[in-house]
Amino acid sequence: MSEKVGLTGLTEAESEELHRNLIQGTQFFGMIAALAHLLAYIYTPWLG
Amino acid sequence: MLRTSRRLVDGWADLGTRFLPFADAANADLPLSRLLRLSLFQVSCGMAMVLLMGTLNRVMIVELHVPAALVAIMVSLPIFFAPLRAVIGFRSDAHRSALGWKRVPFIWRGSMVQFGGFAIMPFALLVLAGAGQSAHYPAWIGQLAAGLAFLLVGAGVHTVQTVGLALATDLVPEEDQPKVVGLMYVMLLAGMIVSALAFGVLLETYTPGRLVQVIQGAAVLTLILNVLAVWKQEARDPRRHEPRPPIAEVDFQDAWGVFRRGPDALRRLLVVGLGTAAFSMEDVLLEPYGGEILRMSVSDTTLLTATLSAGGLFGFWLASVVLGRGYDAFRMAGIGALVGLPAFALVIAAAPLDSPGWFGTGVMLIGVGGGLFGHGTLTATMRAAPRDAVGLALGAWGAVQATAAGVAVGLGGILRDVYAAATEPVLGYIFVYSLELLLLVVTIAAMVPLAGWRRDHATTRKQAA
Repeated sequence: MSEKVGLTGLTEAESEELHRNLIQGTQFFGMIAALAHLLAYIYTPWLG
Repeated sequence: MLRTSRRLVDGWADLGTRFLPFADAANADLPLSRLLRLSLFQVSCGMAMVLLMGTLNRVMIVELHVPAALVAIMVSLPIFFAPLRAVIGFRSDAHRSALGWKRVPFIWRGSMVQFGGFAIMPFALLVLAGAGQSAHYPAWIGQLAAGLAFLLVGAGVHTVQTVGLALATDLVPEEDQPKVVGLMYVMLLAGMIVSALAFGVLLETYTPGRLVQVIQGAAVLTLILNVLAVWKQEARDPRRHEPRPPIAEVDFQDAWGVFRRGPDALRRLLVVGLGTAAFSMEDVLLEPYGGEILRMSVSDTTLLTATLSAGGLFGFWLASVVLGRGYDAFRMAGIGALVGLPAFALVIAAAPLDSPGWFGTGVMLIGVGGGLFGHGTLTATMRAAPRDAVGLALGAWGAVQATAAGVAVGLGGILRDVYAAATEPVLGYIFVYSLELLLLVVTIAAMVPLAGWRRDHATTRKQAA
């Protein structure tokens, strides 16, 4: 494993882990937002 | 001028620490402000509990006209997640991370899940109630969505609380643990009281829009409080990302096996479960008992909650002080159970004597006993937890505690209804309170060997030193 430290002071493994969390979070929040919109549409449809 | 104000500030600081009961938990490494900040996760947990069990319970029945049985099922869903606390705690212990964290990632994910649950919850509830246009859609959509929302919030609360308590245990030296436990309990209670009042005011005039605002506001607040709580709290441990060869892949079964063989581990959990059930069963029965049987006014029965909380606060404070001096934590929990005996006896005796005074005193004592018992068992769990299995130990405690409390509250209501229908109303209550007395006696009986074991353990340790 390379211990190369970038501009942020994180090693490559550390930045990969941070990135993984970011992606997971985005996916989860995206799904929640989609679900919330779906339910809101069922409650009061827009553009109808 | 500058010097005077400096001295004044110091004076205030001194005064502050002197009048805060938990102030001396702060040592050089961990100032009080940091501990208080960490305990914010308990505020968000308390808020979520009140919202699910109290506020939404009422809103669904009164304003949304959802059938009471469906509401009861929805509200009880989070309990099914409680046993998983042990697994969550273990996963956190065994977590491998390049960033060197084992607690923060779990608290973050828990907060995220809790936020997600709250984000979809208001719409899910409105669809569940068939409000707006949603009556055109099949009913299962609302049921599924509301169920998912409650499950997500429950999963989030259980994760955040388990791992948060594990983080607190990691951070604090053993002699300060009782005070931290006290602080955590007080903050949970404070979160519950403040948010119950706030939700009450905010939902005074109910509109669907207001419901969305309140629940999603709670979602945002959860995220803010939890991020504030863990910000820069956990030190990064660089060894975490190195594969640890000999015990690299411990699975839960193995870890649980080791934990179970610890001294009296299962008996301790049994005591926690029995005692928690004994102190929880009356939870939703005190106010109707006061109103229906003792004919107290609504404002008087509302005061009961305050009385119970005041008793609990006194119990936490007393336990913090006494345990801080090195008193055996399980014996403290035993004293809590003993206090419960006269407490429930007073509550029972209040009906034939028609005495709200006796009832109030009994409720106060239930608070004190429950406070001592909860504090004692949690402190004992922290003290006994092996350093590498803190999450598992606290997870097991939380799993038993939360499951027992949830089941007992539900069972208390059901037993009251069944028994009251078969006989007369007052006997329904008395039956449940008597059952709690019986449970307390069994709890105390199960505890006797524990206190003895702790004594032997302490003396052997002293002899070894």
